Amino acid sequence: MNKRAVAAGAAVLAMALSVTACGGDSGGSGDKNTIKLVAADYGDKKSNASKIYWDSVVKDFEKQNKDIKVEVQVINWNDIDKQVKTMIQSGNVPDLLQTGGYADKVADDLLYKADEVLSPKTRENLIPSFAKAGEVDGTQYGIPWVSSTRVLFYNKKVFKEAGIKNPPKTWDELAEAAEKIKKSKAADTPYALPLGPEEAQGESMMWQLGNGGGYTDGGGKYTIDSKANVDTFKWLQDNLVKPGLTYSNPATTDRKTAFADFAAGKAGMLNGHPSLIQMAKEGKVDYGVTTIPGKDGPLKSTLGVADWMMAFKDGGKQKQIKKFLDFVYSKKMLKFDEMYNFMPVTKDALETMQSSGKHKDLQPFFDELENAKFYPLGDPSWDVVSAEIKKTGGKAAKEDPKKVLGDLQKKAQEAAANTK
Amino acid sequence: MSLKAPPSPASSRGRGGQPARPAPRSRGGLARLGPLPWIAPVVLLILAVVVWPVIELIRTSFLNISIAGIVRGSAGTDKYRKLFEESDFGHVILWTVLWTVVVVGVTMLVSLGLAQLFNQRFPGRRITRWALIAPWAASVLMTAIGFKWMLNQTAGVLNTLMLDLGIIDKSEDWLGSASTAWPWMMFVAVFVSLPFTTYTLLAGLQTIPGEVYEAARIDGAGPWQTYRGITLPLLRPAFLVGVVINLINVFNSFPIIWAMTQGGPGSDTATTTVFMYKLKETDLAESAAMSVVNFAMVVVLVLIFLKVSRWNEED
Repeated sequence: MNKRAVAAGAAVLAMALSVTACGGDSGGSGDKNTIKLVAADYGDKKSNASKIYWDSVVKDFEKQNKDIKVEVQVINWNDIDKQVKTMIQSGNVPDLLQTGGYADKVADDLLYKADEVLSPKTRENLIPSFAKAGEVDGTQYGIPWVSSTRVLFYNKKVFKEAGIKNPPKTWDELAEAAEKIKKSKAADTPYALPLGPEEAQGESMMWQLGNGGGYTDGGGKYTIDSKANVDTFKWLQDNLVKPGLTYSNPATTDRKTAFADFAAGKAGMLNGHPSLIQMAKEGKVDYGVTTIPGKDGPLKSTLGVADWMMAFKDGGKQKQIKKFLDFVYSKKMLKFDEMYNFMPVTKDALETMQSSGKHKDLQPFFDELENAKFYPLGDPSWDVVSAEIKKTGGKAAKEDPKKVLGDLQKKAQEAAANTK
Repeated sequence: MSLKAPPSPASSRGRGGQPARPAPRSRGGLARLGPLPWIAPVVLLILAVVVWPVIELIRTSFLNISIAGIVRGSAGTDKYRKLFEESDFGHVILWTVLWTVVVVGVTMLVSLGLAQLFNQRFPGRRITRWALIAPWAASVLMTAIGFKWMLNQTAGVLNTLMLDLGIIDKSEDWLGSASTAWPWMMFVAVFVSLPFTTYTLLAGLQTIPGEVYEAARIDGAGPWQTYRGITLPLLRPAFLVGVVINLINVFNSFPIIWAMTQGGPGSDTATTTVFMYKLKETDLAESAAMSVVNFAMVVVLVLIFLKVSRWNEED
């Protein structure tokens, strides 16, 4: 008797659930000729949303390859990693993913090797340093998508008002310049130090490099709480944060705030990537760029950042993926790089951009490219470590850096042990 | 005040002995199921949307899940150990308790006053009563975002106002550090909790019969004596409802903190709910473990409520 009631109820429930399920995915996941691509949105407004780029790429690709369909889903940077995680967990794995990191997926053996989904010609076209950064234990899985290097931006008008003749080359010169800006009230924020969750790992590394520090040693072991790194944050505290030469709470200030402040003429200087060029121009800020200052002189190698493309094995669509990637990497790279002022990861696109004369403002960034240093991207535990640094790393600029970095080091070691 | 009612005849329907009404035997099988066919869908729904997720949650907290989202087998109690060893854990628990106690305490106190005020006759009472609904009707997330921008260091209207009034001498980054962010978030939490609580208490006040007050007046009781001796005791049921619902609401409160500080810097302004959400970014299973702990705390809250409400009955 109870059973009947349960059965009736179950039927109702099953109906309700299946009705809602029908509203979601409209099937097609079993179709070998449909590639599902998930990509990050690089746009900051509707008119330059990445969706526009991908839609046109797919249109051209499908015209040439009538038998293959590409479904594109563009997700904003804040959500993409969480959503992809959910997709993987629920078995709804994309075929191609374009986002910020790849090594965590290698640890779970989810990805095709790069040579399985790229023709030799496309592979050879990749700039070697980036291809190398896509390797885990000597095998390339991550396919570089775009890259950027970081330089110091400064507002020429603010510098002039404050009476600063030359852009700073060392930390002390930077602090001195910031002091002058503060005294002359030329800008609200003399140096913009964004250590908030958005990109704490980036700003931290740019400073740590200036003191010979970094996240790992030569052998790939984490050295987050090394003396060089701790001293870096001590210096930041004593020379920028405490004297009020930057935001009062760097740990909660995001990069986008810093960029917006610079573009509004409210910040004197900051470390930035090529996107800031466009923002500064739109804000009519007369800016200059120079190599990021280190403790005793300009950085010999600055921070290089690359975003990645990766292909998942789950759907077994190796052939289709290969066709699509070869198409995109040979014909559509330049368009994306020019759309967002990014730096290319393929040799031919780099040549075109450097020789066309249209991208003179990117030259300082190209100059830094050769010696750029990357995050420990090939370490499968890096994604966890990076997330932890984003969460708490910024606190090192206000609290005891030894403790903050020590905690992070402990977590990094745990994460490294877990992924082994 | 006794809520205990004698068992009603309806509830002993169909049990052998004294058939109050003719037994509906003639209707056959379905009737013998009693209320089951009617409540079964609800029971199933509860099983599906409450019980099953809880089981799944507990199961997840014992798993080892990679950051990419792949289950790598059992983790035993490792995730709980990891959670309890988090350097922020103690701090987060402490602030969760403080947050809950302060917000509920202040809400109840202010609401008592407001309810008393709204119980008086004064011109414009109807409009002010309506106005009180506003913070309740607005989405909590919207209110929190509104306050976040009002408190913004460079563009915030509250900063400008306080600057102009001479309360502060330079623009403050209120939400940037824990010491100033907590009071502001508590303020917002109280602000959004007031309407419900005030209305609950107001309803309670209106159930107190006028004669009791009249008797007190004749006996020569002063206003304070009347309030303590009559109003407060008679208001207890409404007060309890207010406290318990607020306790659970405030304890679970996520949108205010998430919208205003995201629990940052680090986890300095996180309650356990926010902390659980932040853990999700690095370790799903540990986050599930935090959820289980949270769940246990809510169960304890409910048990306390049951105990207290019985105390209320026995009075």
